[in-house]
Amino acid sequence: MQLDFSSKETWLHRINPSLKLFVLMMLCIVVLSVHDLLFMMNFTVIVLILFLCFTGQPLKRILLLFIPFFVVFLSTSSSMILFGQGNTTWFKWGLIHITEESFFRGLLVGFRALLFAVLGLTFALTTRPVYLFYSLMQQVKLNPKYAYSFMAALRLVPIMLEEFQTIQNAMRVRGVVRQTGIQSVFFKMKAYAIPMLSGSIRRAHRIAVAMEAKRFSDTKNRTYYYEIGFSKHDLVFILYFVILLLAGYYGAVKGI
Amino acid sequence: MERIAHVEKLRLKFPGDASLLFKDLSSTFYKGEKVLLLGPSGCGKSTLLQVLSGLIPHSIDVPMKAEALLCPSSWGYVFQDPDSQFCMPFVDEEIAFVLENMNVPKQQMIERIHHHLQQVGLSLPDIHTNIQTLSGGMKQRLAIASILALKPDVLFLDEPTAMLDPKGTKEIWNVLKEVGQEKTLIIVEHKIDHVLEFIERIILFNEEGQIIADGPKEEILSTYQNEMREQGIWFPGIWEEYLETTSLLRSRTPFEKKEKVLDVQSFKGFRQKEEKIRVDHLQAYSGEWIVIKGENGAGKSTLLHAFMQFIKTTGHCELVGSPIKKGKKHADLVTFVFQNPEFQFVANSVYEDIAYSLKIDKKDTREIEGKVEELLERFWLVDHRNKHPYQLSMGQKRRLSVAASIVKEQKLILLDEPTFGQDSKNTFALLEWMEELRQKGTTIIMITHDEQITNNFATRIWTIDAGKVISDEIQSMNMKTELVSV
Repeated sequence: MQLDFSSKETWLHRINPSLKLFVLMMLCIVVLSVHDLLFMMNFTVIVLILFLCFTGQPLKRILLLFIPFFVVFLSTSSSMILFGQGNTTWFKWGLIHITEESFFRGLLVGFRALLFAVLGLTFALTTRPVYLFYSLMQQVKLNPKYAYSFMAALRLVPIMLEEFQTIQNAMRVRGVVRQTGIQSVFFKMKAYAIPMLSGSIRRAHRIAVAMEAKRFSDTKNRTYYYEIGFSKHDLVFILYFVILLLAGYYGAVKGI
Repeated sequence: MERIAHVEKLRLKFPGDASLLFKDLSSTFYKGEKVLLLGPSGCGKSTLLQVLSGLIPHSIDVPMKAEALLCPSSWGYVFQDPDSQFCMPFVDEEIAFVLENMNVPKQQMIERIHHHLQQVGLSLPDIHTNIQTLSGGMKQRLAIASILALKPDVLFLDEPTAMLDPKGTKEIWNVLKEVGQEKTLIIVEHKIDHVLEFIERIILFNEEGQIIADGPKEEILSTYQNEMREQGIWFPGIWEEYLETTSLLRSRTPFEKKEKVLDVQSFKGFRQKEEKIRVDHLQAYSGEWIVIKGENGAGKSTLLHAFMQFIKTTGHCELVGSPIKKGKKHADLVTFVFQNPEFQFVANSVYEDIAYSLKIDKKDTREIEGKVEELLERFWLVDHRNKHPYQLSMGQKRRLSVAASIVKEQKLILLDEPTFGQDSKNTFALLEWMEELRQKGTTIIMITHDEQITNNFATRIWTIDAGKVISDEIQSMNMKTELVSV
């Protein structure tokens, strides 16, 4: 089985991964401090433009990935809207009580959730983990020990998915599917978890030994196959947010 | 001659084991030597390799003591499992990882990567290829290429072909013969026919982890045949010897009362909506032993998976007179033995694992007991009944997975390379049990790469190529009886 999300390369791919991570994390913090609905909406549009147009993914996949986050938006905002508190009542029926304040606060919280999701997805879709870790080692001086462990662990994911399917088939041969009831849920959990865990632990240990057999050591002094630096794309990326966010804030203050 | 690796009075014990694995073991290896370590599984050959390379105790923490220990300063280690020795996702990145460890400047890397790939004959259109898409043989060649990037004097080879088919095995040994010319090779291997060509010295171990013989290969091979047979080592000529001594095959008779067990017509199997296997028309009768042949990736396993309804299928597939559908319970009629026995264990003890399917069917307790005892006896598992299945050895695991699969006496048994990685003793025993079942009328469909099994046990051969069954031949039993007695 393959986990393949490769796509066209866009300028977002060419941004230094550490810088991208830092900027997007800063944006998440900024989002937390925004309490103005108009600015929040402008903010969302600015990030959505990047997400929809520049991740290089086919539109169909983007929309598919977007569905769960749209549901998050609807559920967070609606729970706030329907049951929130406020003074100006718009609608009241039983437990449901919509007020002007709760409506706007609901939208704000919904947009906040949506923004977190879109920022995260944009990063994930445009960054190869290998480049991220190389960049973290080179720019942030992350210890190679951790960087390479993470990269090795990522390699295990597709192998584990394959194993999961094999175990599922094996269970069917033995008639496990026939059990019903609460007890069988626990049984099935155990039946899947034990072979998968034992397999993963064994495999991780073997990879670790193999890495040391290839003279991997703790020294920070090493050469790099990928030398990741900065480029003009990084500047474009930063300017994009600085200019558009300022414009969005100005617009919000003016009431656009 | 210059000594390159040496160990004197080595004592080593795995935590939790009752006794020492090695007690005062000594051995010396000289520069340029090609040495093969032979012995039963679990005798400590791989452990010795790890001690000699320094992986024990530096990377693997095992208590050990030796009066003298000399490890080579420059060495490479090729492991068994192609899937668990890489830490990077792409071919170029994996070799680059080794070059980075060796502090090779970035400018030289691309050239070195191409050079090492060429050394092992791995010509890829693009060196930035995903490792997951390579075959097992290619992965092992990549493993060797990345080891060569270390520029080692000594190569430790720990059953590098254990997980490969005959074609991949041959490729790997050809490569190793080529690149190993100037180097010292210390090899652990069960399938020794390809290795014998280029090694000079054999060290033979017994089950207690003691060296029972050490000398030139001709001498060891001729003097110690009995010991090797006892230990299940595949020495050259063992098949001929087995065929001569066994009476089972000579008295082989076709099963008489024929009944149609499997009938498929215009049958297709799909993986992720892609057609992976196509069968126009195939039938199997009771008492047949069908071998499925074909290259790696031709679709042999996929065909068995389609029969088991593990994957989406279309067309007609009839099992003992009734059509099978996805979701329908047909575990009573057909069973499947996986290549990796570990995936098949569902219970916490050997006994419970065999009894499992019967318990689901709510069979009478006494009946279950009788049946399980009989199978434990037959598959040499009586002494291990209370062990956890994972605690068993390779051969015991295989025997348990077969015993647990056939407990319901299904009419059709599908097996995916059941003798893979097994020693000769287990292989012959397994084949004999299957033959007994066949003589009672069970139909056996087995994937195997082993020519000897195909020639001596099969009554019918299906050949698969590129996702299609291209031939269906019947082998007559008389022919073989003649062949055997030659």
